[in-house]
Amino acid sequence: MIPYQPFIISTILLMAIGLGCLMVRRDMIRLLMGIEILFNAANLNFIALSAQVEGFVDPLAQSVVMMAIVLDGAVIAVGLAMTLNVYRHYRTVDVRRLRRLRW
Amino acid sequence: MVADWPLNQALQLPAPLSILLIGALATPFIGLLGERLGVRRLREIWVALVSSSTLICVYLLEQLRARPDGILLITPWGQPPPSGSCFEVDALSIFMVWSVAFLGLLVAIYSFSYMERIGRLNEYYTLLLFMMAGMTGVAMAGDFFTLFVFWEMMSLSSYVLVAFMKERWAPIEAGFKYLLMSATAGAFLLLSMSFIYGMTGTLNFAQLSAGLRGAPPTPWLIVLFSCLIVGFGVKSAIVPLHTWLPDAHPEAPSPISAMLSGIVIETGLYGLTRVLYLIFTPDLFHIPLSALAVLTMTMANIWALLQRDIKRLLAYSSIAQMGYMLIGVASGTSYGVMGTFLHVFNHSLMKGLAFLASGSIVHEAETRDIESLRGVGRMMPISTLTLFISLLGLGGVPSTNGFVSKFILFNSAILVGAPWLAVAGVLNSAFSMAYYLRVMKALISRPEAGLRVREAPTLMVSVTVVMAVFILLLGVWPEPALKYASEASRALVEGIQNYIRAVVF
Repeated sequence: MIPYQPFIISTILLMAIGLGCLMVRRDMIRLLMGIEILFNAANLNFIALSAQVEGFVDPLAQSVVMMAIVLDGAVIAVGLAMTLNVYRHYRTVDVRRLRRLRW
Repeated sequence: MVADWPLNQALQLPAPLSILLIGALATPFIGLLGERLGVRRLREIWVALVSSSTLICVYLLEQLRARPDGILLITPWGQPPPSGSCFEVDALSIFMVWSVAFLGLLVAIYSFSYMERIGRLNEYYTLLLFMMAGMTGVAMAGDFFTLFVFWEMMSLSSYVLVAFMKERWAPIEAGFKYLLMSATAGAFLLLSMSFIYGMTGTLNFAQLSAGLRGAPPTPWLIVLFSCLIVGFGVKSAIVPLHTWLPDAHPEAPSPISAMLSGIVIETGLYGLTRVLYLIFTPDLFHIPLSALAVLTMTMANIWALLQRDIKRLLAYSSIAQMGYMLIGVASGTSYGVMGTFLHVFNHSLMKGLAFLASGSIVHEAETRDIESLRGVGRMMPISTLTLFISLLGLGGVPSTNGFVSKFILFNSAILVGAPWLAVAGVLNSAFSMAYYLRVMKALISRPEAGLRVREAPTLMVSVTVVMAVFILLLGVWPEPALKYASEASRALVEGIQNYIRAVVF
């Protein structure tokens, strides 16, 4: 049994950091890192909440987190492939240059 | 405990799902085999076979369910629920899977001749089948874990399919935007899952519903509610979260646009509806969802009016249709939800047809600008006629199926005591005709000199004709669709105890 309050607080902080990263950063690879932080915040919350009963850690949450790590790795891989293609077209990974699609 | 469980239940995915997964995995090998042996269209025959047998399997599953309120509990991993993950198939799941399989078959057949020019067909069909499998899994999921896995499967294949034509810059840019927003939404979905897990100690839909439904709203429930709205709302393009859609849908190849607008965003709505009705009572989410519905349809219609690009216009129109569907969800009655899901099915036909028919036109005329398409309709009469039928259906003209479902939706808003919702819906429908009529006028006005366009290939035209016939048929004789939709909505709203009892005794 571990106290969950510090973990909830750090989850919220990590969510804020991830969202801030998505809003402020211009580098596409850093944006993908922001997504990674968001996913990991949720994973941390899962793991913290799985150990709330004395002497018992729920395997359900652990398996969900394992699966979530895999899925989010796949998403990041697709994102990196797209970044590569963007670099081929625009010769930059700065998202401010990706402005041709509007309205 | 595990030994008591019947052995034949183990390692058995629901039939449509396993057919789609195996079909998707085998597609590249079949394609390579066809190329090596020199058999033309072996891959296409395989894909048609897989998607049509999916449709048959959905029918068989429906027969297996036997009663209108029957529920199939499928536990592929041998662990009984609620601890093991499971598929719980009720009338609503069947209804969604039915729509997915139906549109998927038509889109696959349309792609046979549309995608010939683009190439990389092995990848294309594999991803298309995986996307269908993802949606099927989401619709049948009996717990959050299964839902999340298939949700990400659907999302991943749709990211790649949006950016499929990677030789051009626009699909890549749209795809990246889509990936960023949708992956953020996925993280919020995971966060809301962790909150639900923290509150109830389970992810099984039935058990968490038994634990949470009807609880007085605490701050954590409000946090959960907003995380769920963000998590599902990005995929279903509710207005403040819609900005990826008008970029991603037009830039995808036309059959994929039809699939994305026709059923993928509705799968988001399905997830939202299912989870909201399981966790909350309707009086909690009535006000926020009604506000979102009005915002969604009004803003999307205004933006659609400003478009010059025909596929972008249709994409904004999809957002507006999402607003109409939200009216039914917000109403909280089974009548309103029936309208929502009938509109989901009808919209999958109408918007699917609109994107496919405009895809034929864009394919031949090689421009998406409405002004440059002036007069093209006179040279492609059948595609244009089917496009007109779908646009009239989207506007809600009587004798098309769009009228029936919109009528039910607006009626449900009045019955639940929110006439302002119905007024907003009717005004928006009338407003939306403005831009549909603009497209029609451009297509049939006098062509400019020197414009040469031929009618699209026969296969593409015949798919659009079949869909147009369905739209008119279900407009004048809506009983079969109404029957299934009303069973589906009753399973969701009134049969919720039944859904819970299938797992928690």
